[in-house]
Amino acid sequence: MGASLSISSLFGKLFGSKEVRILMLGLDAAGKTTILYKLKLNQTMTTIPTVGFNVETFTYKNIKFNMWDVGGQDKIRPLWRHYYSGTQGLVFVVDSSDHARIEEARTELHRILNDLEMSDCLLLVFANKQDIDGAMDPQTITEKLQLSKLRERPWFVQPAIATDGEGLTEGFGWLSDNIKKMPKYGGK
Amino acid sequence: MASGQHAPPLLKRTNSAAGYANGTGLQHRRSLSTIPSSRPTRSPQPPAGMASGMNRASDPSYKGKTPSTGTGTGASSQHSSLSANVQPRYDAAARRPRKLRSQYPRGSTENHVEYILVASFDIDRGPVMEHQYPVAITGDEHMLAELMLPDQTHVRNQDWTIFFLHKDSSQEEDDAERQAKDERRARRNRRRDRAKGIIHESDDEDGEDGDLDDDLDDDDWDDDESTDSEPEGIEGPPLVYVLNLVNTKQDKTVKRGAVVKAMAICTRHPFLHIYKPLLLLALEEYFKAPVPETLSMLYNAVNEMDLSLMPKLSHLERHLLQSSENKDLFVEKFEQMIQARITETSGVDVDQPLDASRALLSQPGIFRSGSKAHIEGHAAYVVPRDTHEFESRVMYKGIPIPIKVPVAVMPEIVGDFSLIKLIQNFSDTNSKSPQTFPLHPHLTTNGPNTQPIIVLINALLTQKRVIFLGHNMPSGEVAEAVLAASALASGGILRGFTRYAFPYTDLTKVDDLLKVPGFIAGVTNPTFELHPEWWDLLCDIPSGKMKISSKIEAAPITEGLVYFQQQNPVYANLVHNSSSSGSSSSDLTGDAAFMADILRSITTRAGERVIRAKWRAWVLKFTRIAAAFEESVYGASALYIGNDEQEANLTGAHGGHGYVWVDEATKARELAGNVTRIEGWRNTRSYYSFIQDVAQLYTIRPLKGLDLAHLHDRLRTQRLTPAQSREIYDTLAKYVTSYDEVCLLLSVAPEAHAGLFYVALGLFHKDRDVRFRTADLLERVAEHEAGQHWWRALSRFEKLAYVRIKREAEAEARAKLEKEERDAFSAVDQRVS
Repeated sequence: MGASLSISSLFGKLFGSKEVRILMLGLDAAGKTTILYKLKLNQTMTTIPTVGFNVETFTYKNIKFNMWDVGGQDKIRPLWRHYYSGTQGLVFVVDSSDHARIEEARTELHRILNDLEMSDCLLLVFANKQDIDGAMDPQTITEKLQLSKLRERPWFVQPAIATDGEGLTEGFGWLSDNIKKMPKYGGK
Repeated sequence: MASGQHAPPLLKRTNSAAGYANGTGLQHRRSLSTIPSSRPTRSPQPPAGMASGMNRASDPSYKGKTPSTGTGTGASSQHSSLSANVQPRYDAAARRPRKLRSQYPRGSTENHVEYILVASFDIDRGPVMEHQYPVAITGDEHMLAELMLPDQTHVRNQDWTIFFLHKDSSQEEDDAERQAKDERRARRNRRRDRAKGIIHESDDEDGEDGDLDDDLDDDDWDDDESTDSEPEGIEGPPLVYVLNLVNTKQDKTVKRGAVVKAMAICTRHPFLHIYKPLLLLALEEYFKAPVPETLSMLYNAVNEMDLSLMPKLSHLERHLLQSSENKDLFVEKFEQMIQARITETSGVDVDQPLDASRALLSQPGIFRSGSKAHIEGHAAYVVPRDTHEFESRVMYKGIPIPIKVPVAVMPEIVGDFSLIKLIQNFSDTNSKSPQTFPLHPHLTTNGPNTQPIIVLINALLTQKRVIFLGHNMPSGEVAEAVLAASALASGGILRGFTRYAFPYTDLTKVDDLLKVPGFIAGVTNPTFELHPEWWDLLCDIPSGKMKISSKIEAAPITEGLVYFQQQNPVYANLVHNSSSSGSSSSDLTGDAAFMADILRSITTRAGERVIRAKWRAWVLKFTRIAAAFEESVYGASALYIGNDEQEANLTGAHGGHGYVWVDEATKARELAGNVTRIEGWRNTRSYYSFIQDVAQLYTIRPLKGLDLAHLHDRLRTQRLTPAQSREIYDTLAKYVTSYDEVCLLLSVAPEAHAGLFYVALGLFHKDRDVRFRTADLLERVAEHEAGQHWWRALSRFEKLAYVRIKREAEAEARAKLEKEERDAFSAVDQRVS
């Protein structure tokens, strides 16, 4: 036991000093804030619309995540760009049951990724609200979001039910593995 | 000339005014934006009336400021060395201030509150404006709605914010305002001329209108504008201050579980915090009844607030009140206001202020019970317990809400904040683990370990971009820090901070914000910290740490700096520049000692007013050092206006002006410590406004050409020969006679700084005449409305000396009189015999 502790603190020294900045975006009511607090507190909180932003820090797989969750209403989306600089990973949250606005989500996603400051960042898409009847599956989401257009960039679509926490660890597992590979993080 | 370099904020309003063009009530609408408008800066002009002001200096009839008494100027009688008993006791009445006016007269067309706004956070659209009353503010209403719903409102139930709006008045409005001003000035000049020929104020015939009889008032130390709005200088029209309350109510019955609404009050009064209790009630009401009538009810209630019994104070009086702890200072003015009202309502002529005040004194109806004073039979009228605050109330839904309005409002002092809180917030962590700053000539004037508050004030003086960040804090708290910082740098003396202050702002305004050269902004979003290109100094409130940006612009090498080094080769290496930290070892600026004193005062529980007075003194000292620096390096300074002609006539002690140092070496060292920040201050907005204010105040200030502060400082700091001090005491005794002149003397000898101690030392001068004249001067001070409090604070020892000297003078005068009588007798005898 003592040994494992010392190993984890060693890892803490290797990686702990570095914070990975993650930006979580998506249309309003996609479930961003719920995901944030599920990860941070492992609790399902009843959230209300985010005015502005939320930001929390938590450690997962020895990586310290500094995660920003920014309000998604149409009029405040132009503010997203101020959060781009220094972001290493984008978590894009989609309400899989919202067929009507999946096109809108695609437009917003590509607008973000086309920004110069976001050119190096990883993309994790949470296809959220899989528990709702008629929710699009990850394959459909991938097509609708036209992710095949993204060439160099590592991306991953993870089905999720944020209120249960389902899929979140898997998604962040992919994210931490890929972050460690990034040159900035001292990976290969 | 130089003002051309002062770049106006390069801003375009991003509003949608055109969309409202066809709306109703267009004439009421004023375009407002949160960012200073882009119209060209007016070049500073010497205020009109300056020429006549200079003439007045040599016109003895103006000395007294109250032509009504004609004979009572006193100035002529002062030339006699035996003026003590020559001077009649009732002369004090002549030195009474001019007729009192109300700060907010009844029947004024100006409203206390101009607009009420309500915004809400729409779950689909984000912030939206719901209602505006009485009319819509033009400008970007979406932008307003965003400011009303601050970041992270969803994590707290209630939050306050403050922001300012810049009236973007149209050309016609501008012209109309200027015309009105010209007319006012012309009317004043006409009256001034007439007053010279008129003996009694009451003969003035055009006093039929309450607003017109302000003739004498305007000649005085007084701003042209009403006291609460800052004087309009190069900066543009007054600001509209907005106090905003936002509530988040969890509500299971609505979609996404919460309702977020905000209500704001827009006012020109800088004391907008008084409306807090009303906003709390009204927003609660609005949640129940979200209709425009709820807004109009609040609007009417606040605008019916009666402040008409609050006397208007002159510039000097406000300074005295502001820096005094005395709760009775100027209480006479409140009594006079009440008396005038009583007389007015009972139908007696009130155009006799002097008589009214005398009647008051003789009337037995006034008494003080407990800490409150009442006027018998008029229980409705109450003299304030503390003259710093005027107590009134607002009737809202039949409930009287008590309101306290500050009486002495200084420029750049907006809202309710605490300098103590600001200073402690950034000093406590620093004293535990001192911060090391990267060097910047403008900021780190005491080297890498410059006290953070000094770094802050340096940043503000040199017009840097300063951000207060309070992540996870209510936005009300960051707003408070911004207001405190503005007041800190201003000291009520310098201007140009609040106009470029953004007490609360967020990412939505960042593009506009960055177009402003030099600002103070409050934010709660930590994203700002990640953008060092957006700011020069970041003050993180939760951690109490400050950060100088890695992207800050380097300070240029200026002519002044080079000249100074050439003129003072011995001290050249002391001048702080980025390549050396030479000045860090010794406290050349005296700031380390100053901060230690401030922190000591705070730990010994000195009040907010004491700390503000100390900062005011710091700012005043800075401007005086800057003036001395400019004079020594450039040969002239616009930061001080003396009357050369008069100075030339005065010899020695009278002639000097400016900051006083013990010796030349001390002066050179202090200047060396200040060179970089003074050079950084030149060419800033606050520098140019100050030059303009100096010119404007010169026209209305008493004792032109005589620097009382300089004289008093010499008494205080220098070792003087009896001949030198004699000259100073004689000058004071000779020139300080009128009401305003005594006010000026009191202002350079504040109670917190030993009061009249150094003046009273003249009672112990070895020269008998000096002792007599000083006693006369102190007598005038003691009879002065404000001076009486300073007099009371003198020690028993000094008072006894005064009494002894007065007796001596009387005895001498009696002896002289007897001798004259005897002489006259003997002359008669001789003739008879």
